[in-house]
Amino acid sequence: MLKTYFLTAIRMLLRNRSYSFLNIMGLALGITCSLLLFLVVRFELSFDNFHEKGDRTYRLAIRHEADGNSGVMASIPGPITDILRQNNPGLEIITQVFGEQDGQITVPATANKPARHYREPGALGFVESDFFRMFSFGKGNLPFIERLQEPHTLILTQQLATKYFPDKEPVGQVLRLNNQLDLEVIGVIPDVPDNTDFPFKLFVSYASANELSPYEISEWGTVLSNQNLYVTLPAGADYKEIEASINRIVLPHIPKKHQDLKSFFLQPLHDVHHNEELFNYSMRVVPMEVIWAMALIGIILLLTACINFINLATGQAIKRSKEVGMRKVLGCSYRQIILQFLGETFLITFAATLLSVILTEISLPYLNQLLELKLTFSFVRDPLLLVFLGPLLVLVTLIAGLYPAYMLAGLQPIAALKNRLNTQQVAGLSLRRVLVVLQFTICQVLIICTLVVGEQMAYFRNKPLGFNKESVVLLRLPAGNATKLVSYKANLLKEPAIQKVSFTMAPPTSIIIAENGFKFNGSSEPMPFRSHTKFANEAYFNLFDIPFVAGRAFTASDTIKEFVINETMRRKLAIPTAQEALGYKLNMAGKDGIIVGVVQDFHQSSLHHELPPAIITSQLSAYYYMAAKIDMNQKEAAIRHLENIWNKAYSDDVFNYEFYDETFELFYREEVRQQTLFKIFAFIAIVIGCLGLYGLISFMVAQRTKEVGVRKVLGASALDITILFSKEFVKLVLVAFLFACPIAYYLMQKWLEDFTYRIDIPYVAFLIAGIVTLSVALITMSSKAIQAALADPVQSLKTE
Amino acid sequence: MKNIVIQTTQLEKKYLTDTIETTALTGVDLQIAQSDFVAIMGPSGCGKSTLLNMLGLLDAPTAGNLYFLGENVTKAPERKRANLRRQNLGFIFQSFNLIDELTVQENIELPLFYQGVPKSEIKARVQEVMQRVGIAHRHAYFPQQLSGGQQQRVAIARAVVGKPRLILADEPTGNLDSQHGREVMLLLSELNAAGATIVMVTHSPADAEYAHRVINLFDGQVVTERMAPAVAAI
Ligand SMILES: Nc1ncnc2c1ncn2[C@@H]1O[C@H](COP(=O)(O)OP(=O)(O)OP(=O)(O)O)[C@@H](O)[C@H]1O
Ligand SMILES: [Mg+2]
Repeated sequence: MLKTYFLTAIRMLLRNRSYSFLNIMGLALGITCSLLLFLVVRFELSFDNFHEKGDRTYRLAIRHEADGNSGVMASIPGPITDILRQNNPGLEIITQVFGEQDGQITVPATANKPARHYREPGALGFVESDFFRMFSFGKGNLPFIERLQEPHTLILTQQLATKYFPDKEPVGQVLRLNNQLDLEVIGVIPDVPDNTDFPFKLFVSYASANELSPYEISEWGTVLSNQNLYVTLPAGADYKEIEASINRIVLPHIPKKHQDLKSFFLQPLHDVHHNEELFNYSMRVVPMEVIWAMALIGIILLLTACINFINLATGQAIKRSKEVGMRKVLGCSYRQIILQFLGETFLITFAATLLSVILTEISLPYLNQLLELKLTFSFVRDPLLLVFLGPLLVLVTLIAGLYPAYMLAGLQPIAALKNRLNTQQVAGLSLRRVLVVLQFTICQVLIICTLVVGEQMAYFRNKPLGFNKESVVLLRLPAGNATKLVSYKANLLKEPAIQKVSFTMAPPTSIIIAENGFKFNGSSEPMPFRSHTKFANEAYFNLFDIPFVAGRAFTASDTIKEFVINETMRRKLAIPTAQEALGYKLNMAGKDGIIVGVVQDFHQSSLHHELPPAIITSQLSAYYYMAAKIDMNQKEAAIRHLENIWNKAYSDDVFNYEFYDETFELFYREEVRQQTLFKIFAFIAIVIGCLGLYGLISFMVAQRTKEVGVRKVLGASALDITILFSKEFVKLVLVAFLFACPIAYYLMQKWLEDFTYRIDIPYVAFLIAGIVTLSVALITMSSKAIQAALADPVQSLKTE
Repeated sequence: MKNIVIQTTQLEKKYLTDTIETTALTGVDLQIAQSDFVAIMGPSGCGKSTLLNMLGLLDAPTAGNLYFLGENVTKAPERKRANLRRQNLGFIFQSFNLIDELTVQENIELPLFYQGVPKSEIKARVQEVMQRVGIAHRHAYFPQQLSGGQQQRVAIARAVVGKPRLILADEPTGNLDSQHGREVMLLLSELNAAGATIVMVTHSPADAEYAHRVINLFDGQVVTERMAPAVAAI
């Protein structure tokens, strides 16, 4: 019995190749997309979910508030850790982590090998031995972690151990960090997985961090965003209670000048990857809304594919009705027919799933590249995928197959035999119309969203930033060691390709943000709000084209001497005009100086945020970068020259450079990713929608072949026939448009709310979506309708 | 008294489409006995097919009663009717109605599958029936690859393979030329001689000659019923 069903199904599929192709392709596309999105979503949700104590581990974060401005940060000044440790409110583990952006490792010379230098950006973590008790990196018992409490010790991951010591036992060897510290390798652990926000490869003893200038991580001082404190609660503890205890214990100890630190809260470990307000070491935060949106898009694409299937299958029903009729005459029961067609759907879905596994395999590398992820797809290593695909297969079979099966099984045997389906089809056809409208709505919403997201991105890229980021090369200087290169300044400018140079803590827009308290106008009390501070030399303004509203740049100095403020700072200080601001006294880090200039506001972090009040001043010890404005036509010469000079200044440090406008793009990395996702999946939704449309049209044309024949005999032209069919679809597209507009508008309104600087929703996006779907519908339509219209009328009359 | 296979009393069928009501059958009293060969004749639209569909339990009457093997099945649910069809009825149509995706053999196997006949038995029975209708050499062909006469023979084979109590044929020769038509009629006569009960709708007086009994329908009513002389097979 099964065999004949199977045979009928296979032969049916082979006979109607184009139908089968459309069906399998549509489903395969839908399943592939949902599979890819499943992989992405699962990856993003898996961050740091493998730590045994993960569910009771939290990061301590601070809510700060001053002068009406409030915010949160996860940066914990060192003294707070000491206070907590001395008055432990019942925490099982307290451990501080300091992640470094950049670092250089030197493998010392041996008898037969010269010293080797490696830059390891983002791979450096300063941790205590408790870090490994809190987090499950490395398996089982790691006896050597105890020694991490001593200064000058280091644990390597397998990858770096092999890289540094390909032919030697790494443990016991010494590595030099930033040409400052010698560190002894005390152990090797396996590489950390991709799904962690602690992407370290070198775990250096926390005690060593203080010795590395310019950090003063055990002081209250400047708050560094990469200095975090993690705690593990005892099993069963109430985290709200502990949070309250922490506040009770720590708040009284906070010095007066840090009074803006209002309260502490515990951020669950699983939130670290998703909370946009707080930083993490992988520098990649994916908000839950984005993850939900991706899951939703996956479901929507799958649904579109199912709708597609329903359209095609019910259209196909006409061809199957004779068979169903005969089976019923022979006494086949309702249930058996349902099972037969569900079985066929299962077969198609199964074929589509196999195809989608192949498609996923092929497309994953591209997706990985686009999204900068390292997703893997393997049933062997990842049997969970089967748990995803199995139910998916059943679900899709049911959603896609139930209605067509039910429709066919419900046919009257005689009517079915006579192909007299029209009366019974009326209900089916209107359902199909609803489905097509739904599909068009989905397509249009996706198109509109893609356009709006794209528009917002373009706005970012073109918005006046208040400075010029073009033709600027940034060199990251060896930690705390700008002095040497500064002495080569004149030498640098000798090369005509290098037009200007400036030394600074960070370029105008940067992830490196320093916030400082300061005193104003001779007051002994610090101002109730912090300033964003840019340490830079006097050439900074000229190099980045930051225009002055009043005054001038500060005079050259290696320490804080004079100040330049931005317009926002002037307003916050309640100084009516820029001119009047000149001459006011400021005090920062114990140094007095006067305001000598006011510059226009320029953007300092991504456009998600408000422009902050800023102070720019000189401080040689805080310069992490050299910026060089170069002649882009002589790019190579400029870089070569920079490298030459660098090698003279820092013989032990690897030369590195980046183009600022490229780095700048990273600020909008997440948005670009989202846009890419939207683009791809909107396109696929449209493709699937077209397949479904094609199915519906084929059905209608098939159903009306005779009518078309009669009309032609009576003298209708091909155009008349095309118009006859088009009317219907224009209506459907328009109805879909009426649904799509408010939905897309609402979604985009919500999305844009996150941006402080945003576009108004461009109405032309709606227009484009409408026109695109209408054109696609009409083109698909007319190809099929013209085919019917051009067919020999006698031929079409003969087909019964 | 012969065994009555099917009986109708005051059978009526009305079709209701939108606002128009068509009375296709009214006041039909009929008895079909075991081993009967009945021909139903009448002008186009008089309700022949409708009657056959009632007798074949493919459609339910709107009034009157229908007894199948003595059991009143007038209001039997579709489940029950499907069951009875499967066990007791064989159908032959003017347009053959073979399933295009199945081979000759598979088409003929179908009723046996639905009856739940064991696999080993199916093979033998299908083989035997194919021999009987002379189609065995075409068992692996698809319907589209056969002539009309051959297709109808396959349809007949399919109708009889399940050993039905009653065979219903709606213009079995309607789509065939006279040569093929005669072959089919001879085959039906043979089956009848071997014990099958047959009710056949036809327009052809020549075909009606093969039947024992002719029922004339006009405007949904039985007008005459005459016994036909048994025709000797030539
Ligand atoms: N499904 C239906 N809906 C409405 N009316 C129907 C339906 N089927 C048949 N009729 C009507 O019932 C009457 C009898 O139809 P039927 O098909 O039984 O005639 P027939 O005697 O078989 O004709 P023919 O010799 O042309 O096959 C006709 O008037 C027909 O229009
Ligand atoms: Mg008829």
